[in-house]
Amino acid sequence: MQNNKRNRAIKSIVLFAIIVIPWIIVFIATDKISKSNIAEEIKIIDYKKDTLIRQADHKKFEILQQDFAGPEEVTAACISCHNERHKEIMNSSHWSWDREVVRENGETIRIGKHNVVNNFCIATNTNTWKCTSCHIGYGYKDDDFDFSDAEKIDCIVCHDKTGTYEKQPLGSGYPVEEKRKFAKKTYFPPDYNYIAKNIGTPKNENCGTCHFYGGGGDNVKHGDLSSDLYHADKEMDVHMDEGEDGNGMSCVDCHDTERHKIPGKSYSVSNVKDDFSCEKCHESTPHKNITLNNHTNKIACQTCHIPVYAKGVATNTYWDWSTAGRVDKMGKQIKEYDSLGNVTYKSAKGNYEWGTNLEPEYVWFNGTASNYVYGDIIEDTTIAVQINKLNGSYEDENSKIIPVKVHRGKQIFDTENKMLIIPHVYGHSDSAYHHGLDWDISSKVGMDYAGLPYSGNYSFISTEMYWPINHMVSPTDKSVSCTECHSQDSKLKDLTGFYLIGRDRSKLLDTLGVLFIILSFLGVSIHAGIRFMSRKKS
Amino acid sequence: MQKQTYIYRSFERFWHWSQALLIFFLMLTGFEVHSSFKVFGFENAVKWHNIAAWAFLILIIFAIFWHFVTGEWKQYIPTVKYLKEQVQFYISGIFKGYPHPTNKTRYNKLNPLQRLTYLGLKLLVIPVQVITGFIYMYFIYPNNQFSIGGIEGIALIHTAGAFALIIFVVVHVYLTTTGHSVTASISAMITGWEVVDVDEKEEHLKHMQEAVDKSAAGYYQLDKDGVFVDTNDAWLELYGYNRDEIIGKHCSVTREEKHVKELEGFIARVLKGEKIIGKPVVRKGKNGLTGKHILSANPVIENDEIIGVEGFILDITEFDDNAQQMYSAVRNSNAGYYRLNSQGYFTDVNKAWLDMYKLGSKDEIIGRHFSLCRDTKDLKALQDIVDQVMSGKTISNKIATRKCKDDSVGKHILSANPVFENDQIIGMEGFILDITSLDE
Repeated sequence: MQNNKRNRAIKSIVLFAIIVIPWIIVFIATDKISKSNIAEEIKIIDYKKDTLIRQADHKKFEILQQDFAGPEEVTAACISCHNERHKEIMNSSHWSWDREVVRENGETIRIGKHNVVNNFCIATNTNTWKCTSCHIGYGYKDDDFDFSDAEKIDCIVCHDKTGTYEKQPLGSGYPVEEKRKFAKKTYFPPDYNYIAKNIGTPKNENCGTCHFYGGGGDNVKHGDLSSDLYHADKEMDVHMDEGEDGNGMSCVDCHDTERHKIPGKSYSVSNVKDDFSCEKCHESTPHKNITLNNHTNKIACQTCHIPVYAKGVATNTYWDWSTAGRVDKMGKQIKEYDSLGNVTYKSAKGNYEWGTNLEPEYVWFNGTASNYVYGDIIEDTTIAVQINKLNGSYEDENSKIIPVKVHRGKQIFDTENKMLIIPHVYGHSDSAYHHGLDWDISSKVGMDYAGLPYSGNYSFISTEMYWPINHMVSPTDKSVSCTECHSQDSKLKDLTGFYLIGRDRSKLLDTLGVLFIILSFLGVSIHAGIRFMSRKKS
Repeated sequence: MQKQTYIYRSFERFWHWSQALLIFFLMLTGFEVHSSFKVFGFENAVKWHNIAAWAFLILIIFAIFWHFVTGEWKQYIPTVKYLKEQVQFYISGIFKGYPHPTNKTRYNKLNPLQRLTYLGLKLLVIPVQVITGFIYMYFIYPNNQFSIGGIEGIALIHTAGAFALIIFVVVHVYLTTTGHSVTASISAMITGWEVVDVDEKEEHLKHMQEAVDKSAAGYYQLDKDGVFVDTNDAWLELYGYNRDEIIGKHCSVTREEKHVKELEGFIARVLKGEKIIGKPVVRKGKNGLTGKHILSANPVIENDEIIGVEGFILDITEFDDNAQQMYSAVRNSNAGYYRLNSQGYFTDVNKAWLDMYKLGSKDEIIGRHFSLCRDTKDLKALQDIVDQVMSGKTISNKIATRKCKDDSVGKHILSANPVFENDQIIGMEGFILDITSLDE
């Protein structure tokens, strides 16, 4: 009898050991495995840094030994040897500033800076001469520019290795001819001979001089492209990290160019998909964890790996043209700044808001966009005009969730014709809003030039512009964590229309579930109570 | 009558507790993924929920296999018999101290309410959870080949199933306290053993059946024409036949030619309704194997009609010389049956046994220790027999001196064999044949 009892006790212990011990083993093992994975190297498919030595020493070319009178002569010298390259350039959107697209209504048109609107200085139009200080040509002042003149190509803005070449702010793409000061900065005429002898593959500085300064200042437009990337550390961008064990990659390492066809484009001026993505180098299922890999079906890499943007220089987040025009008692234009030195108000431009270390907003995106093109009718004036609506939805199998900077603002629009007004902004005449602060005149002049009607009645309307965030990739340990999306206060709380585990629930089901659990507890408690009482009685 | 019974086998207990642990763990991790609370961290919760899901699936496969191999699945066949009574018991009878309306036995361990509930769990809730769970794991994204458009419906069903399981667990755990004692059911699920009510008649019948099967006494049954329809292992051993070799054969093959007539005479008498008790006979076995045994025979009655002959034989080849005496000694006796539990207490006896011990009714002996049956000087011998049998031996014919109720003594031949349940010896049983007159 004693033996029997002891045997049973031992058997029970063995039974529980059989059940519990495997769990403990698996727990410890997986814990160890997941810890040992941290140092795992990230697998790269086909990235190869360009380490080839130069094929030719340009210092020795006879044609480059001359004293160039102007930049066009440099271009002519380039073409004298690279006698087909200019054709590639003239086929590119860097030159044409547009590309052919099919719009949603089936119409095939060319869209580009000449006919789309942005949420900053609004549009090129009459202001082209100022905007084109970032064109890769010389003298793109207005619509009369000859796009077939190869000598107007600015080769050196991209290929200068000396860092001494710079276009002037108001020169329609030309550098200064003599020493000149703009705002606080002095510009010197370039030494074309020196520059021509020192050319090569574009460096970050060649790209950055335009792409980091869109909107007229450092990081104003994109939010993820700023001068911070010239000297990035790991936290700023894991690819461009200049540190000792950093990747030290440059723009063209990813925007890997063949025959001047540069992959990647901005949806501010384009609406067609290209196949440029992280998967070019990384696998589409790069994680150890299957569940994480499943996410890549519907979530872009950037969504988790770029948790914040504008990590250094502030980016503009809001531009309200409707408040422009306020002047001081003397009638002079005013400027106001915040404590960090960011402009918050300009008479000529209105109110600004800025931000750093911003969390992106998230949208479904299938790679196509619908841009607002000059003269498009605004169907619903009660909601914000979508300057470049990113297309996509949960149901669309090509769509993924991507992070975006949504730039919000208010722009002038014609209340009768229901279209955005393309005002004449820059210039020294009174018809330029910048100078005259008169919306009516600048609207009239601008719309005339654009060939659009203007009723004389205007107001201001909310606008939204979308900037996909693709740069400033954070280290793995800074990636967005599960519960930032899979929780009640999800980052994706505005992205509705699908069931997101951890965020969504049926309130009715949960309430009923909890109610029934409480009822069952209550039920058994009462039952137990009555049993206890009746036993006592008997 | 209450009896300690082995109800839950070891795999069943392993399955039950593993399942309990897994359901608890799945609940904990699952509701963390549902962002109801924070325990492991979301990523770990997802990972562990998935691993536990696989473990559960494997366990289910084993459990299904086990249920079919053991036939235990039959315990879950739903029934409405006593269903109303069971519900009434829980809502009123239990408070008045009434007994459970249904008896738990090894072969019927679930009450009708349990049958329904567990079948619902096994066929509805758990399969739904498993299926929706694996869809969750693999088919959630719209551009998957097996697109289902969205996970919402699946997620809601899975959540509803989880709530159903929690409610089940709450009530289930509570109802375990309604056994003979508060912890009886839980400890039964841990040890496998539980005290359950048993039907005395049913138990006795079962014992007799088992006793015949396992007894050292040979059992046989003939039909009206004297053809064998059944024998037990001991009978086959005495004759040296395989079962297949004897069933369907006429009983005359078991005798030398000269003894066939005697046997046919017995059969004719029994078929008329007579009982034959303790006849020493000479048998003819396979390949000329011969021996002597004492034979009993009685009619087999079905629907008030005699349809055959059955009886026992006890080998007396060793007592060859005394055969005639023994015949006279036991001629008026009948085989007595007894059964002891592992502690040596009587759990069952038959009428013949009671008569030999001069006892009036079973109540005088059931639950008593075997030491009552012997004089002090003879006790040692019986203790030896009991010890041997409890350690697995079978005793076929020992002569023993019994002490009767009135302190008189008698002699009998005794057979004893261990009683097994799930490979465990839980007692012993056997037959006795009276030979008191042998001494006189």
